[in-house]
Amino acid sequence: MKIQRHGAVLGLVAASALLLGACGSDNNAPTGGTNTSSNAASVPVECGGKTKLNAEGSSAQKNAVDAFVQAYQAACPGVDLAYNPSGSGAGVKNFNAGQVDFGGSDSALKEGAETEAAAKRCQTNPAWNLPLVFGPVAVGYKVSGVDNLVLDAKTTAAIFSGAVKKWNDPAIKALNGSATLPDKDISVIYRSDESGTTDNFQKYLKVAGGWTKGDGKQFKGGVGEGKEKSAGVAQAVGSIDGAITYVEWSFAQDNKLSIAKIDSGAGAVELTAESAGKAIDGAKIKGEGNNLVLDLDSIYGSKAAGAYPLLLATYEIVCSKGYDADTAKAVKAFLTVAATTGQAQLADAGYVPLPKAFQDKLLTAVKAIA
Amino acid sequence: MSTNLADPQRLATPPTFQAVSLSRRIKNGIATGLVWGAFLIAIIPLVWVLYTVIQRGFPVILDGDWWQKSMSGLLARQQGGGAYHAIYGTLVQGLVCAVISVPIGIMIAIYLVEYGGRSKLSKATTFMVDILTGVPSIVAALFVYTVWITTFGLGRSAFAVSLALVLLMVPVIVRTTEEMLKIVPDELREASYALGIPKWKTIVKIVIPTALSGILTGIMLALARVMGETAPVLVLAAYAPFINYNLFDGPMASLPLMMVNERNNPTAAGFDRIWGAAITLVVLITLFNLLATVISRALAPKTK
Repeated sequence: MKIQRHGAVLGLVAASALLLGACGSDNNAPTGGTNTSSNAASVPVECGGKTKLNAEGSSAQKNAVDAFVQAYQAACPGVDLAYNPSGSGAGVKNFNAGQVDFGGSDSALKEGAETEAAAKRCQTNPAWNLPLVFGPVAVGYKVSGVDNLVLDAKTTAAIFSGAVKKWNDPAIKALNGSATLPDKDISVIYRSDESGTTDNFQKYLKVAGGWTKGDGKQFKGGVGEGKEKSAGVAQAVGSIDGAITYVEWSFAQDNKLSIAKIDSGAGAVELTAESAGKAIDGAKIKGEGNNLVLDLDSIYGSKAAGAYPLLLATYEIVCSKGYDADTAKAVKAFLTVAATTGQAQLADAGYVPLPKAFQDKLLTAVKAIA
Repeated sequence: MSTNLADPQRLATPPTFQAVSLSRRIKNGIATGLVWGAFLIAIIPLVWVLYTVIQRGFPVILDGDWWQKSMSGLLARQQGGGAYHAIYGTLVQGLVCAVISVPIGIMIAIYLVEYGGRSKLSKATTFMVDILTGVPSIVAALFVYTVWITTFGLGRSAFAVSLALVLLMVPVIVRTTEEMLKIVPDELREASYALGIPKWKTIVKIVIPTALSGILTGIMLALARVMGETAPVLVLAAYAPFINYNLFDGPMASLPLMMVNERNNPTAAGFDRIWGAAITLVVLITLFNLLATVISRALAPKTK
């Protein structure tokens, strides 16, 4: 009996030792081939510091951060970053509680309690909002026979508030002179869950299209059918003839939706990386110094020719000072890579690479982190 | 059969009614049908779940990388990578939890059975254990969050998860161990006392070894249960796609957390990872249950 007992315990220990001590590896790099380092070394990156960073926040920038992590690992071997896409609210909360090294949020820190808590977390230094990831929001639709739809903010607001109900409404016809529009009902699809996309879409309509229903993370239009998450709305539009929605660019592309061109007063603008980049270039900064809080109204209300104004910006919320030396070094290295070489893959993931002028502003801010 | 004549239950005269009436046979048939139906209804979801998990997850775990690599540096839509980081997290959080809760649980049970008797303290303990048994895992997690993170100001970590799991595991161990100690015959204890052995030595050398197989089975089952808990890892640990060996600092993955995390990933790769993690968890817990059976067989008191 005694021998058997020892045997069982030994077996247990051996089994767990095998499992835990086995050769686990973090190395997932494709063998034989460097995919991201082609245009590297445009900006020297000072690697080092903490090897494992921890961040949390907006799910809208999750895929962009994944791409940044790849570039970061290519530039600085042996480093890693965990990004938990638990939502902007959780990102700000956990940054302010000191649980994560930086937060991701689709809106800048609010004046008052949020900013004060962030300053406290940064050892009484201000926290900066760095807009690093821009994702265009597409007005995606599916109407058989129509693939060159042009809309302006006013008509879009009318469609999403139920004032325009038919595809051949005079308001739409006026914008699409030659196209033949069917006498079909418009089915509006909106996000039923709380979403930064909804918030930004409604803000855009408010600034540019006279939207009176209010903004916020819930859709307030009062028409249509709600679907959960970006994947849900995009799939729904793909399967209903006559449907229209607002959704992140990549989802519209993946589901092969037609994307409306937007006319802000200087001609119809197609959604491309260039047209969205042009809108970012025209953005005004309302934050002070390196706190790059965007004045979104300046993007949404822009009448510049060739600029696509419907964008969703996500911020990285970082301490200007007050990190320990190791963390500061790693955060700076990551953000530097993210703003430079990390941008290369963004277009594939449905985001807009940063225009040069904006990139320089960001790099100045990143360098100033101490 | 040779003792048929001596069968005390044999009737002196043959029964008057030998044939079973039709209505009885119908009732019997209906009852049998209902019982079988209930059995089938219970078995359908089980088989269905197992079939789905195996069908979708099995191809994923066949890849050797699955057991050796983490998800580090992979885009959401990129195939590849593995669950080593999550398997490590689940096992280590479970084992640390067991290391803390097993001694506490067994000692509480020994107190209740051997020393407590009907004292007030013993009644209060039983009452508390009963309440703790009914505490939902999310409440345990939030309790640890308030104490460990809000009050003490410590970071989210795998160790905090283990602490929350302790709250869930201790009552289960106390309950099973108590039952096992109760069925150790008093004659064994009395024989030991009669030989002049002190009480503590009797417990250590006679009572516990006799009940050991049952106690270990209980521990293994409790462990299997806490390893699948999702609420504590959601609240108390952040997901990390890389391997984090440090229990006390930084985010650490675990299998339930990996599944929750990949739920946000609408691509085919995310789909594979969810089912892969699901079947890995099922396999791990099955292994623990098998281990419990083997250990309890090996340690069962010899009856001959």
